[in-house]
Amino acid sequence: MRIILTLLRKDFANFFRDRAAVSLTFLVPVALIYIFGQVFGLNRKDTGPTGVRLAVVNQSDNPAAQKLVDALKAEKSFRVLTNRVNPDKSERPLREEDLRPMIRNREFRFALVIPADVIASKGIGLHLKILSDPRNEIETQTVNGLLQKAIFSNVPQLLGQSLQAGAKKYLGGERLEQFNGAVAAAVTKAFGGDLDETKQALASGDFGLGAVADAATPGAAATPTDFFSRIVKIESEQVVGKDVKSPEATRVVGGWAMMFLLFALSASAAAFFDEKKAGLFQRLLSAPVRRSHILWSRFLYGVLLGLVQLTALFFAGRLLYGIDVLGNFGSLLVICTAAAAACTAFGMLLASIAPTAAAANGLATFLVLTMSATGGAWFPVSFMPEFMQTIARFTLVYWSMEGFSQVLWAGQSFLQILPTVGILLGIAAGVMAVAVWRFNRGPLFD
Amino acid sequence: MLKLDHITKRYGALTALDDVSLNIAPGEFFGLLGPNGAGKTTLMSLVAGLRAPEAGGITLDGKPVTAADPSTRVSLGLVPQSIALYEDLSAEQNLRIFGELYGLRGADLRQRIDEALTAVQLADRRRDQVKTFSGGMQRRLNLVAALLHRPKLLLCDEPTVGIDPQSRNAIFDFLEARVRDGLTVIYSTHYMEEATRLCSRIGVIDHGKIHALGTLEELLARLPFQEEISFPASPLTAGLAARLAAHGEVTTGGDQHRFHPAPGFKNSAFYALTEELELSSRLFISERPTLEAVFLHLTGRSLRE
Ligand SMILES: Nc1ncnc2c1ncn2[C@@H]1O[C@H](COP(=O)(O)OP(=O)(O)O)[C@@H](O)[C@H]1O
Ligand SMILES: [Mg+2]
Repeated sequence: MRIILTLLRKDFANFFRDRAAVSLTFLVPVALIYIFGQVFGLNRKDTGPTGVRLAVVNQSDNPAAQKLVDALKAEKSFRVLTNRVNPDKSERPLREEDLRPMIRNREFRFALVIPADVIASKGIGLHLKILSDPRNEIETQTVNGLLQKAIFSNVPQLLGQSLQAGAKKYLGGERLEQFNGAVAAAVTKAFGGDLDETKQALASGDFGLGAVADAATPGAAATPTDFFSRIVKIESEQVVGKDVKSPEATRVVGGWAMMFLLFALSASAAAFFDEKKAGLFQRLLSAPVRRSHILWSRFLYGVLLGLVQLTALFFAGRLLYGIDVLGNFGSLLVICTAAAAACTAFGMLLASIAPTAAAANGLATFLVLTMSATGGAWFPVSFMPEFMQTIARFTLVYWSMEGFSQVLWAGQSFLQILPTVGILLGIAAGVMAVAVWRFNRGPLFD
Repeated sequence: MLKLDHITKRYGALTALDDVSLNIAPGEFFGLLGPNGAGKTTLMSLVAGLRAPEAGGITLDGKPVTAADPSTRVSLGLVPQSIALYEDLSAEQNLRIFGELYGLRGADLRQRIDEALTAVQLADRRRDQVKTFSGGMQRRLNLVAALLHRPKLLLCDEPTVGIDPQSRNAIFDFLEARVRDGLTVIYSTHYMEEATRLCSRIGVIDHGKIHALGTLEELLARLPFQEEISFPASPLTAGLAARLAAHGEVTTGGDQHRFHPAPGFKNSAFYALTEELELSSRLFISERPTLEAVFLHLTGRSLRE
């Protein structure tokens, strides 16, 4: 054990003398996590694109439709185009038949048409047309979502009209009249106001939501969207991770950290080759040092370095994105240790099968990137095709990420993460066994 | 002290050591002289327990040396052929690591490190990274790192390759002093000058075989001549070459005659002949034989190739 400790101290002394290694292990990953975070918008309050060109053609003379257009114009995610510039620089309003060629011409990728029959004649709902060039699926989804949000939050009146239209169809004009009359009577009785005006407003689909918003006293909970979503009853409930402070970051930072850990550990395993080249193994083995001392001290070094690196990167995540690292810190350390053990074993396996340091590095780059991609470090595994999801389960990245999310996302207890820890340690043991076997027959100690 | 008994070591089809037997007595400064690829490093690595031979056995002080059992290792120190140091660490840190691997600790280790660094004139550079050292300084540290645990037997594998004359002399002086203190040294080299200067006994090794074993004098005595006198081959010296043939061996190569006198032939007789033939003494170059000649004689190869 003393020998292992001496060798371990040597490895750390070596590591901290090597500024490049230190910065590659800690500073570069933190910088990259910061950059990735900016790219993926982890820090923005309202995530999403800004200034996406959106062409809007309004064929409806319903005043609410114009309100929707104005609302879209106000949305900072969009740059709304309603006019077409002719070659002679004169402008005219866009027409629907302009849109498709212009999209093909890549002048914009999204267009919204508000048809004359914006309020559906059948059923409750709005009739809108969205034209798009879904060159980028994520962007398309986001933009569609934003459009819905804009419609939803800014123009409840349109849907109110749709409700009225729907009600008319089912109840018949006369009975709707009676219904509105009854509601108006109830409302004026309760809140006061002019009965006829209220009836009028109801018939035009104005449920007075705007007024509610205007009148909302500080602290009053009712906002138009809020009120509206109660009518429409779209319920979405997030069951897990509701309390996670920065959900996006919690999901992704662990994956990135894993990738950097794998890189750092395969680099440290490749350092074996430098020691061999220098004849250091001859010197060590001519002392009362066994091969197993060298291998296990290196393994221990990898696990400790990996643990420190992972913890440091999670703390960087805490600083940059407010990930709740301390809330479940003990379990986090356990899962980080298991992940570091698996990664270290992986690095040792590389060193044991590669003939040269260059081969080890090349192989490492290939495997680390493949494993990170399939294991879900870049992209959620659940978004992948099914067979990829199966493959993912064979990577240590997958199980590490699983563990991180159990700890940071679901806040699971030590007992609950034990199976994942077991799988990671199992991977570590299996891979290490192969590596040790290879080391003992391979040329490293020759 | 060290006994190699019919050792054979192969790397695949290549036989690196072929039935080598060797006995090293305590206090010897034993030279292993041979060109690159002769098998010197292989022999060292077997003695150090880094590899196991295919046949034969090695004992150190009567205890078998095996790769599996590290107990014999504490009595020996290996100076690897390459500079086996952590070059990002300081001289002192390197020595501390190697000392600790032998179980040395605390004040004792500190004192030994001080002594070692002083002995090879590196005390003032002790805190500098090894990679900032000159080749000669690194070689000196490489050497002294094998001695911290005060082994009885030191294996020096070509410890002076590629260094300046001062460092080389420092290493020589250092080793000679240690041997005077009772250390036993096996020193491999392909420089005959080193073996000549340092070693009390020399083994001539080539292609995995020990071709000759003995003191410098004993090896030189194996040559069929003790001395070589060369002179230009010209009509003027033709008579001399003919007369000398009766007293030894005369060979002619290029424009030079080489005369190897038979045992017992006196130099005075040679000078008598040259005077008689009225040849100027400036024509003659007399050389004592060298290990180079011994090697050539034994193996038919030159040491430097
Ligand atoms: N690890 C090895 N694998 C295969 N062949 C080797 C190995 N080490 C040395 N050899 C070969 O064994 C022979 C002896 O090598 P070595 O002992 O290093 O000689 P020396 O030290 O005298 O130069 C050489 O032909 C060398 O190529
Ligand atoms: Mg050698």
